[in-house]
Amino acid sequence: MASTHQYHHDTESLDYSSDGSDDVPFLPNAINPSRRVKRYTRPLIEYVRNEWQSNTKYSGSSPDRSEIPGWVQMVMSIITAPRFRRYAIIYTTLFISCLLGWEFVLSPRLKEHSELTKSLDPNSKEKVGGWYGTNALPSFEGVIQLKNLDPSLLPAREAPGPGKDSSRRLIVVGDVHGCRIELERLLDEVTFNNKTDHLIFTGDLISKGPDSPGVVDLARKYSASCVRGNHEDRVLLVRQELAEVDAMTDTSGDEFMDGLSTSGAQKDLKLARKLTDEQAEWLDACPVILNVGHIPTMGQVAVVHGGLVPGVDYDKQDPFSVMNMLTIDLDTHLPSSSRDGKKWTKFFNAHQSVAYKSTKHADSQATDTQATTVIYGHDSKSSLSIKTYTKGLDSSCVKGGKLTAFVITDGGEQQVIQVRCDNYLGE
Amino acid sequence: MWFSTPRLLVGLYGLSLAAVGSSAADVDFMSVRPTVAKEYSGKGGEPGPKYFKESDFHYHYDGRFADKPLSEDETVPHLSELIRTYLSTMEDLGAETWIMHGTLLAWWWNQKIFPWDNDLDVQISEPTIHFLADYYNMTEHHFEIPGVEGGRTYLLEINPNYVIRSTDDKLNVIDARWIDTSSGLFIDITAVRKDDERRERGDPGALMCKDGHRFDETEIFPLRNSYFEDVSVKIPFEYVRLLKKEYGSKSMTATTFQGHHFNDVTEVWDKQRKRQFWRRQPVDVPVRTTPLGPLLR
Repeated sequence: MASTHQYHHDTESLDYSSDGSDDVPFLPNAINPSRRVKRYTRPLIEYVRNEWQSNTKYSGSSPDRSEIPGWVQMVMSIITAPRFRRYAIIYTTLFISCLLGWEFVLSPRLKEHSELTKSLDPNSKEKVGGWYGTNALPSFEGVIQLKNLDPSLLPAREAPGPGKDSSRRLIVVGDVHGCRIELERLLDEVTFNNKTDHLIFTGDLISKGPDSPGVVDLARKYSASCVRGNHEDRVLLVRQELAEVDAMTDTSGDEFMDGLSTSGAQKDLKLARKLTDEQAEWLDACPVILNVGHIPTMGQVAVVHGGLVPGVDYDKQDPFSVMNMLTIDLDTHLPSSSRDGKKWTKFFNAHQSVAYKSTKHADSQATDTQATTVIYGHDSKSSLSIKTYTKGLDSSCVKGGKLTAFVITDGGEQQVIQVRCDNYLGE
Repeated sequence: MWFSTPRLLVGLYGLSLAAVGSSAADVDFMSVRPTVAKEYSGKGGEPGPKYFKESDFHYHYDGRFADKPLSEDETVPHLSELIRTYLSTMEDLGAETWIMHGTLLAWWWNQKIFPWDNDLDVQISEPTIHFLADYYNMTEHHFEIPGVEGGRTYLLEINPNYVIRSTDDKLNVIDARWIDTSSGLFIDITAVRKDDERRERGDPGALMCKDGHRFDETEIFPLRNSYFEDVSVKIPFEYVRLLKKEYGSKSMTATTFQGHHFNDVTEVWDKQRKRQFWRRQPVDVPVRTTPLGPLLR
């Protein structure tokens, strides 16, 4: 009992001293607290020996004070105390930061989580009447929906021993957009070796940039794989139309062609004519979805330009959506090419982690084979975006950003390598 | 003038074009395009009186060729031949056309006409409507159709108000019809025009139809080649965006529609036989046959 009492006074006195009240000369006494406690057992004010207590000049306010009820005085004295003010500031800041954290971080996260969970709930499928992927997929003339990558091109299953190099590598490159010089620099940067490395492009090799045919030639030279991007899609369709009306070289009929009012359409037309038959054929052979196959630590890997909707078979994924998706409707799982909505990658990652959570710890091998990882481009606004099951590689090279290579080596090791790009759009 | 009255034309049967192959020998769009394809702008004139009339028995039949609608079982096969003959004729003429609205939605689901549908929507560009009006208005096209004795004759009729380029022409929003003269069923053909107003406001790809639909060139062009009712058809470039804009997301995902359910195995819309239990069953109401007494009347 005695010891706690002593401790109480002790802290009190220490606090007084820290307030820096210099007219109370007990600072040196702090060295010996027990002695000081004996001396100052009453409020310090009573130890004041100057005329403060006796002179009426200083007690003038006392009649007023007595009018104020005691509890108000107490409250006032607490509020005006410097310690209270200090704590008040600390606690208010703490409270506000908690509030902001809840409002802008935690609450949206929780809301998003519950939204995603709800949209993945099979019961909600009945409520909305069905999910994306039930329709009979239309076929488009000259568009290949799916290709499988030759398994002999995949890196070895086991990671290379210490000091050894990977026996095979997959080098996936984001949207090049005709930036041939940057592509060459990037291949130097990753020390590309045509014998052991296989190049894969996430689409949009062409358009916008300075040398689209050059990029296609480079890709052909290295027998690269690719997927159809929205820009290839447009340019190849324009080319198809030119072939239909026999206007590949003849520009006299251009003024009678539909849909050429925008500058974008004019550029597409120009590029469509600029490509050689071989280049166009090579681009036309790029599928909408490239099924890379199984890679340790990544599961089933698919390369697309825009994105994929989880839970829908490759041959049920609408090609326009695969090439253009940015967001997804959480009710119907219908992807959209517009930016307003939930990002498809959030939905995809949520779906994969829910679907394979149960097996995650029990059998990581099973997760490995079942889960799907998507490597994609298209979304230059989000730039490089590496998540567990989605790897976004469009880092807006043509706009002066970077060109990204996602390198997969033996054992499924992954590495991101980038080079800086010139700004060819002058925006 | 080329817009003679349709009744007169039925009389001039023998003079009109006939048979599939013959049209290829005639003028096609490419050969005459300099005379028709030019910049069209301005209002083009004042709104006119309604040209295409609907029959009094059904809004989607042409009353000049029928007096009653087809039975439900007959409708879809007729519509199927209607669109197939239309698409092949346009291809022969080199006239670019593509499907839109409900027909595009039907294409999304299984590339077949909805079993509950009785109309089809196609679009053409402005130079094409001028070309069709100048060279093929009121032409009849006869097709031999397997299982149909004597085949069927189709009539391409252009609304003379196609020259008016304003949505104020509310009674003439349909620019042309492809009519099955055996049943009165028809396809609505609308021309997609440059939207002068929006282009002036700095929207270089703005397009519009007289029915008030607005598009952007990048949504429609370049057209895609696909299939509908087993024949080639052109599809607008951004079909998903267009469908979402017009019908919402659910139109492309919900498997129950108009009393039909989409069978994901057969990929066909099956008619729902049993009614859902929470819906009230329609009851056969007893019908009085003896007249009521004079007091009650």
